[in-house]
Amino acid sequence: MVFGSLGPSLAPYLKSSRTIYGWIKPIANWYAKASGYQKYGFKYDDLLIEERDDVQRALTRLTPREKYDRAFRLKRASQASVLHTPLSQKEWTKREEDVRYLKPHVVDVSNENAERKKWDTLVLERK
Amino acid sequence: MLTARASAARNVQRIARNYATVVDSAGVRVASIDHGQPTSTVTVFVKAGSRFQPAAGVAHALKNFAFKSTAKRSALGTVRESELYGGQLSATLGREYLALTAEFLRGDEDVFVDILGSFIKSAKFTRHEYEEYVQPIISQEVEAAASDPTTRAIEIAHSLAFRSGLGSPLLAPAHHSITAEHVKSFAETAFTKGSVAVLGAGIESSILAKLTEKSFALKSSSVLTSAASKYYGGESRAENFTGPQTLFVGFGATGAHSPDIATLAAHLSPTPSIKWSKGLSAIGTSIPQDSSVQAVYLPYSDASLVGLLIQGATTAAVKEAGKAAVQALQGAASGIKEEDFKRAVAKAKFNAAQAIDTEYGIITALGTQIFGGPETSLEATLASLNSITASSVSKAASTLLKGKPTFVAVGAIDSLPYADELGL
Repeated sequence: MVFGSLGPSLAPYLKSSRTIYGWIKPIANWYAKASGYQKYGFKYDDLLIEERDDVQRALTRLTPREKYDRAFRLKRASQASVLHTPLSQKEWTKREEDVRYLKPHVVDVSNENAERKKWDTLVLERK
Repeated sequence: MLTARASAARNVQRIARNYATVVDSAGVRVASIDHGQPTSTVTVFVKAGSRFQPAAGVAHALKNFAFKSTAKRSALGTVRESELYGGQLSATLGREYLALTAEFLRGDEDVFVDILGSFIKSAKFTRHEYEEYVQPIISQEVEAAASDPTTRAIEIAHSLAFRSGLGSPLLAPAHHSITAEHVKSFAETAFTKGSVAVLGAGIESSILAKLTEKSFALKSSSVLTSAASKYYGGESRAENFTGPQTLFVGFGATGAHSPDIATLAAHLSPTPSIKWSKGLSAIGTSIPQDSSVQAVYLPYSDASLVGLLIQGATTAAVKEAGKAAVQALQGAASGIKEEDFKRAVAKAKFNAAQAIDTEYGIITALGTQIFGGPETSLEATLASLNSITASSVSKAASTLLKGKPTFVAVGAIDSLPYADELGL
């Protein structure tokens, strides 16, 4: 999963520079729109690879409301896929609605796993 | 033997004098006693017991949240680090105080005081930790308590005796809607300069004060308050299917710790001084073989609950033992023989001295004293026990008996006796 949506990202670096951010943002918005998931009512984090232990654990940490909404979006999109047609335009995900609701939890979980590994493989030095 | 006694008395005085060393460190009160033990114990005493909780069970949830992730370390880091140093972390909840304790080898104090301090100062109270680690433990403890007749009887007795405040439940209800947010806001109001005291045993006072100053920089100084306790009393019965049949007969008194009531509890207590014997107390000799009676004396800062916990295998045995216990209580109110009185005073003195024999006892005594609770220096307690008389104890008993009794029956409630059947 090196180049997946959970892999390393240049985004924090690009966001830190106002000029670059100003150039990139319109392209990013265009790209998000062009990739088409918004037409099916998805948020970007709905597309994260789910079949991983850390993402599964992160999913349990969503609030009940977030869990419900996520399941609703997945179902609605499956139905749209069955009908071979995108949703009506008023149901498309708006840009401001497209927030990373899951990624922070995934990052937390993977940090916890890394910390556990650190403690498990710790080498003690006697002073 | 006499010389041994005299030296014991001197030791007691030395311990008692150590109590006065309460220093103020960055607004947090610090006290410690050092007898040169090989291990040190540091306890953070917080005025955040169930008495001060905004809703039932929040204090219980806060207790189980102890040592979870903080701004400085994760929950896992806290556990692994203390394991590497060979220390133990524990949290104890009482009706008035929450105690967070670290026990460790001498020399590791900077790590453990920092662990305690970072929880008090910067605990995160995350929702996922509450759901993944805290909530299951709360349910387990609640479930274990629900099938333990003694815990249930004492819990119901408190709610009957004091209703709100001291009467609010120590454990969370079986079905509750506490969230991590509730716990967080309770912790914010409770973890303040005025409500936190750092107590040590086996650690030098100056070292502890210095470390406290470093790790416990608390901002707010507001103190949680609760309305003064009032005694109500009443009768309640609860069905229970496991454990012995249980009755609790108790009376409450408001006001600070009274030596008369402590002596009355010691007088009523049928616990024999020699194992496997029945003892000489009025209750011990007259109860059936398969039943037991324990004297319960629970002093709090502004009230106390004194009573008898009667348990037995069958409801018939419990009824008979209950009658004997009530008779003994009424007998104490009408007068106590001088010989019995002397025995009771000696027992009460021993109980008071033994209570501060352990590190836990020392720390509890120090903590309650810091928060303006009853005078707990052993010197003063022993002196107050010397000053009472048999008539003052029986007068205290008759005053208690004039109040409404707190009567709790837990077990097979169809055949357990009612209060009036025991002669109350």
